Amino acid sequence: MRRPLALAALLVVCAAAVLVYQSTRPQASGADARIFVPSPRFYLDLSPSFRTSIADAYWLQTIQYYGEHLRSDGRFDSLWPMLDLVTTLSPHFKQAYFTGAFALIDAARPDLSYGLLRRGFEANPADWHFPAYLGFFAYRFANNKDKDRIAARWYAKAAALPGRPAYIPRLAAALLTRSGARDKAIAMWSGVYAEGDKYSREKAVKALSRLLATDPQQRAKELASVQTMMSPEVFFQLLEDLGVGSV
Amino acid sequence: MSRVFTIALNTFKETIRDRILGVIVLFALAMIVGSVWLGAISLGQAGRMMQDFGLVAVTLFGLVVAVFVGASLVRKEIDKRTVFVLFSKPLGRSEFIVGKFLGLCATLFVVTMGMGVFLFLAVWYVGKSPAPDLLLACLLIYVQLVVVVAVTVLFSTVTSPTLASVLGVCVFIAGQLSSNVLSLTRLGHSPLVKAASWVVFVAVPNLSAVDIKAAVVGEQVSRPAALGLWVGYLAAYCVVVLLLASFVFKRKEF
Repeated sequence: MRRPLALAALLVVCAAAVLVYQSTRPQASGADARIFVPSPRFYLDLSPSFRTSIADAYWLQTIQYYGEHLRSDGRFDSLWPMLDLVTTLSPHFKQAYFTGAFALIDAARPDLSYGLLRRGFEANPADWHFPAYLGFFAYRFANNKDKDRIAARWYAKAAALPGRPAYIPRLAAALLTRSGARDKAIAMWSGVYAEGDKYSREKAVKALSRLLATDPQQRAKELASVQTMMSPEVFFQLLEDLGVGSV
Repeated sequence: MSRVFTIALNTFKETIRDRILGVIVLFALAMIVGSVWLGAISLGQAGRMMQDFGLVAVTLFGLVVAVFVGASLVRKEIDKRTVFVLFSKPLGRSEFIVGKFLGLCATLFVVTMGMGVFLFLAVWYVGKSPAPDLLLACLLIYVQLVVVVAVTVLFSTVTSPTLASVLGVCVFIAGQLSSNVLSLTRLGHSPLVKAASWVVFVAVPNLSAVDIKAAVVGEQVSRPAALGLWVGYLAAYCVVVLLLASFVFKRKEF
């Protein structure tokens, strides 16, 4: 009778010791911002069949690393090597590019964000999100006077890709207008008019009215170049809306 | 043929009832369920994480079954002396080897595809759409494991089960690195190294050729025609290995 009781007591004491020690041990001190990240080449050569699984494992570690340092010291020394590893091992892992690009902004490296997104676009050329994000990053974080033109160029690329939302061509057209690329802006706004709904058409007419010459003859001549972008009915409707229907 | 089938059926019944097999499968299922938790901390990538880590679980646990059960398959019959009873009947040694191999392949099919279907349902259950290639990927993992079984059976006829298991795992790893060996044959300067690399490249089964795990998470497009040819190549490899195993086993003294 005593033996089972003694064993039960031993079990309770040991289990309590394990639980108490583990739950009261000091929390891990601030993790080092510089951690060892192997070269992507190493994994590509040594485990080609498991490369996406390794990329996923590093992705989980990257999220953890980012969250940990965002809350503590704000240092992200190893963020780029980790993102480089993940995206090299799994070039079609789109979320890694998008989240990584924004995380690198917190690391004060917009240049790397831009580079990461460019690499993502090279690997995923049919995805409009990449040029759209590139346009946003160029517009928001670039430090040169050409940023409107660069952003407009990216948005124009995004506008040409399938699946993009309706606001992308409008954004591209607005940025082309701002950057002074008049002919391209006219073409883009005409495209917005040809494809768009009532709201888009109103916006396009307003923008084209400002861009085109005020003389009706001249205006009609300038619009001749966009005639091929739309059906004759739509083109005549555009002329009508721009007040040159009679010309 | 019916003798081979009888041996295969008995091996299937024997291995499927093995408790170790149950434990391994339970571990694999636990790992697949565990990947749901991994998905929750992956910033909206639950489907990808579950499928990727799930397929790794199917591969690794399938490998454990293939290697450890495959290595003891022949030895167990010798140790329990049942082999004498079998060979007193009109049964060839090569029929015995092929029957044992086919029996374990059947067990492995049930285990691998069972885990694959479980993974498919688990992904679907958490509200993600499973990749169309998910079950094909499991089937191709099975094809790789069949080759490992054949090689392990060959090793088990010449060495101890432990060593046969280790060698089976080594062949699996080497099979994943086949393309690297090929690059060695191109890059090496020494003709001896080049020749040795070429021999290794030809001798080791190219298992990575039928690996489409990456395609499941959208990384590469699987090419059914080429895959069919590679599966044929691995089937021919198995035939060669089994013929070798039969040849060795025929000369074995008990």
